[in-house]
Amino acid sequence: MNYKKTLLIDCSEAAYCCDKKQYNEASGPEKLKMLLHLVFCKRCRKYSSNNNRLTELIEQSDIKTCTEDEKKVWQEGIKKELTDI
Amino acid sequence: MSENKIDPNKWVDKYSDYLFNFTIVRVNDREVAHDLISETFLAGLKSMKNFKGEATERTWLISILKRKIIDHYRKNNSKKGKAEIKIQYNDDSNEGDWLEENAPDRFDKTAEDLIENEELGTAILECMEQLTEKQAKIFKMKTIDGFDTEAICNEFNITPSNLWVIIHRARTTLAQCLEKNWF
Repeated sequence: MNYKKTLLIDCSEAAYCCDKKQYNEASGPEKLKMLLHLVFCKRCRKYSSNNNRLTELIEQSDIKTCTEDEKKVWQEGIKKELTDI
Repeated sequence: MSENKIDPNKWVDKYSDYLFNFTIVRVNDREVAHDLISETFLAGLKSMKNFKGEATERTWLISILKRKIIDHYRKNNSKKGKAEIKIQYNDDSNEGDWLEENAPDRFDKTAEDLIENEELGTAILECMEQLTEKQAKIFKMKTIDGFDTEAICNEFNITPSNLWVIIHRARTTLAQCLEKNWF
């Protein structure tokens, strides 16, 4: 009876494991529980495949973000200009 | 029709990553990109009164940025001719080769890949505008900048489970937004 409680997880927990997995932060048991859940849950299978695809896309897109320092410089530039006007 | 309004104080938060990504694929130099965006913001402020609200703020800023990028390349071009590039054409086996053949292609990516990746990056950043400010910030830190869960939690003063809820919502929104064209 006990193993049921530990092995069978609900959708929200499966989603949580799935999200963690995208960042390689899911533990072994978490991954196992998630896979088991996916066997019988169609919605989570869909979520999981979309989630994997999203990770793939973000990696592929090679987005570059600017640093907070760079943003600060711009923000100050705008502020200064606005007070001058 | 609701008119698009302009609010310069929000520009950096809302559009800087979008503009930066747009610039960096075109000029391939962080510092140049930074300067071009500074100039874009300033030019935007100066011509704010000409903004009619027909386009979105972002489209309008991009149109300014495009001019800045073109100007940047023009300036660079005028410096050309001062430096001479010498190519050995007297080698018989190479005779008639085009300049292009002397510039190796990047072997790992084709031109189509690069164009598609840029479109993809743009699409992702556009979809990110649907997120709340906090979601977007945390999602970016976690996913693109690759910060540790712990570091982000400390910075925003949230618990790891808060963080995962935010990440989950962000991912769901983004997946929905991208689903039509990219899945």
